[in-house]
Amino acid sequence: MSSKFQYDLVALVIFALVVAFGVPAVMNYDGFELNTFARYLALAIVSMALSLSWGTAGLLNLGQAATFGMGSYAMAMHLKLRASDGLPDFMGWNNVETLPWLWVPFESLTFTLLAGLLVPAFIGGLIAIFMFRARIAGVFVAIITLAFLVAFQLLFINQQGLTGGQNGLTGLAQMSLFGWTVDPYSMGFYNLVAGCLVVALAFGVYLTHSKFGLILRAIREDADRARFFGYNVASYQTLVFCISAALAGWAGMLYTLVLEFASPTYMSVSFSLAIVIWCAVGGRESVIAAAFGAIVVNMLEGRLSDVFVEGWHLILGVIFVLVVMFMPRGIYGLLSDSVRKIRRIRRTRDQRGVETFPNT
Amino acid sequence: MKRRDFLGSLGAVGTAGMLSTPALLSSAGRAFAQGNDIPVGLLFSLTGAVAVVESTLHDAALMAIEEINASGGIHGRQLRPIIEDPASDPATYADRARRLMIRDKCVSVFGSYTSASRQAVLPVTEQRNNLYWYPTLYEGRECSRNVMYGGAVPNQQQDDLIPWAIENFGPRFYMIGNNYVYPKEENNYCKTLLKQYGGEVVNEEYVPLGHSDFSSVINRIRSEKPDVIFATVVGDSDVAFARQYHAAELDPSKMPVVSLTRSEVEVKAIGGEAAAGHFSSAPYFMGHATAENEKFVEAYKSRYGADQVTHFVSEAAYFQVYQFKAALEKLDPANITPETIRDAAVGLTLNAPQGEVLIDENLHTHLWPKIGQWQTNGQAEVLIESKERVAPKPYAAYPGQSCTGQGLVKA
Repeated sequence: MSSKFQYDLVALVIFALVVAFGVPAVMNYDGFELNTFARYLALAIVSMALSLSWGTAGLLNLGQAATFGMGSYAMAMHLKLRASDGLPDFMGWNNVETLPWLWVPFESLTFTLLAGLLVPAFIGGLIAIFMFRARIAGVFVAIITLAFLVAFQLLFINQQGLTGGQNGLTGLAQMSLFGWTVDPYSMGFYNLVAGCLVVALAFGVYLTHSKFGLILRAIREDADRARFFGYNVASYQTLVFCISAALAGWAGMLYTLVLEFASPTYMSVSFSLAIVIWCAVGGRESVIAAAFGAIVVNMLEGRLSDVFVEGWHLILGVIFVLVVMFMPRGIYGLLSDSVRKIRRIRRTRDQRGVETFPNT
Repeated sequence: MKRRDFLGSLGAVGTAGMLSTPALLSSAGRAFAQGNDIPVGLLFSLTGAVAVVESTLHDAALMAIEEINASGGIHGRQLRPIIEDPASDPATYADRARRLMIRDKCVSVFGSYTSASRQAVLPVTEQRNNLYWYPTLYEGRECSRNVMYGGAVPNQQQDDLIPWAIENFGPRFYMIGNNYVYPKEENNYCKTLLKQYGGEVVNEEYVPLGHSDFSSVINRIRSEKPDVIFATVVGDSDVAFARQYHAAELDPSKMPVVSLTRSEVEVKAIGGEAAAGHFSSAPYFMGHATAENEKFVEAYKSRYGADQVTHFVSEAAYFQVYQFKAALEKLDPANITPETIRDAAVGLTLNAPQGEVLIDENLHTHLWPKIGQWQTNGQAEVLIESKERVAPKPYAAYPGQSCTGQGLVKA
């Protein structure tokens, strides 16, 4: 256990160094490349959030995109209000006369940042309470969260006067944080996103190696046994669901800053499934691996679509199929298996040394 | 590939990412020869939900580019199309638009069918002061100085249509559209016209995008007995609507569907039998008889197949490339930037397949509205053609606001 913790810490430090110094240097501090990579980093946060609930607690949340979208819209609402004098333009199109009460508090950045974390956590918690009190597990968690996502997106698109409908929220202002105007093509912005990712990962590593993480793993392996030991399984599951939702909301806020608009496609089923794929490719058992998976897949997607304009989807699909077939535990599984193999070889060699000693 | 080889190469990809190998991280395209050719972006979805329509826009624009190159380019310089596939996803549009405008340094990008994708591209276009050529009809109420709008805005589709429909069929309109901003805006404008010409709205209804069961809508239409079905249903929804309307045996000669969105593409999917007798309002129909159009249709069919159709958006995707060419020809070859192209394009006239079009100083296009009636062969017979070119008024439904050469002006 403790050696695993050490491995994770080393991996985290390497990851942080590469992201903070290596990547920008390779990209020649070019604004466009940094912006593109910042997008991958924001997506890495939502991927690591999923790995907390899926990998650690065994709860496959197919509704992750909904909480991501909530964060993204919270940020977009704030920036939209800052960009428009009075009523945001799309409300006029929908014949809305006065600013809806739901929008009013988003004038404040502090409220927005809190809402981007707490609203997803609250909604996620609500669903979690319903599910886990009823001891729903396994594939049914996936089905319920997926159904929630579909219903939520539909509702969201239908409330055009509030949400901008299918077009989402566009024409946003740039965020200003303590007097610093956030330019999405700057090194400063890249550092902000990278910093958020590293903090989120450090939190994730801490969580998975804490007692809380241990109990979650116990629940994943056998919920009934954990229950017999006296643990309140539902509240542990609910808590990890909330944390994962809040992290997804955080990622959503950053994503809006990167792309400068919020779209209901951020809450689509395909986006939610994409998150699952990143997580699976990287390895759902480790938050760092899941984040790494998101970066690798998105980078691969970017490059493939650049090189093979036609058929890049097909190539990507084949790669995913192969990963699932040959590396069911992702890149992380591959690494940890090889580490184990090396250890075993060493151990047998050592043992042989001990055994052969008396004979000589 | 052997399993071990695959794993090896996958591991290599992984480590490459971890070690930040330049090949994967930094753009391979950095070394583009800036040389003599002119880079232009093509940003139409070739995969995903809207690919059926958008790939035809891609085809039309690419055909125009290759025609121009075949006839010697612009000032002897070839156009170099850089093709991206944004896969019908707004976030991917934003990402690919960044690539085209920032990394590939395109002087213009042609792209988009849906408003959602155009708006996803807007932030980077405006921030980088690039030029985005958007060929689709849309809801208006936008006045960007960085977008060339090639399609119709509400006043260009409805000013002739509404009085004509009232006169020929009656004043009671049933509005059916998909639930997003385009149908709502068109209906807003339609209501102001109805008020003016003494029409009325018997029902205004919106179904979700992609909605395909219209039985309750058709029941309501049956009981309301409107004179005109004013439709702004798009894509697959429109196909389903038209088929079910036909199956319900509602008579187009008594209760016609008058659509702003139904083109040859949709009719091809609906089937000529079910579409026949209904109407569409658009600046272009494939059957429009002009020499330019015959040339366009023939070239398109011989290139992409005899069963392919041209329609009012692909026509604009095609002529916008020629507008771009005409603008560049006015410019000093040493001074080609998105901004100079835009300024040179204002006031340009061009013989497009639909007729002679003109670029307004508000960057929208003066067009030739037509009303067509669909025939069983899947083509429209043009019944009414406006006598003069109609100016674009993207803020027509909003008195006191107008889009001018200086951007949006509020009175």
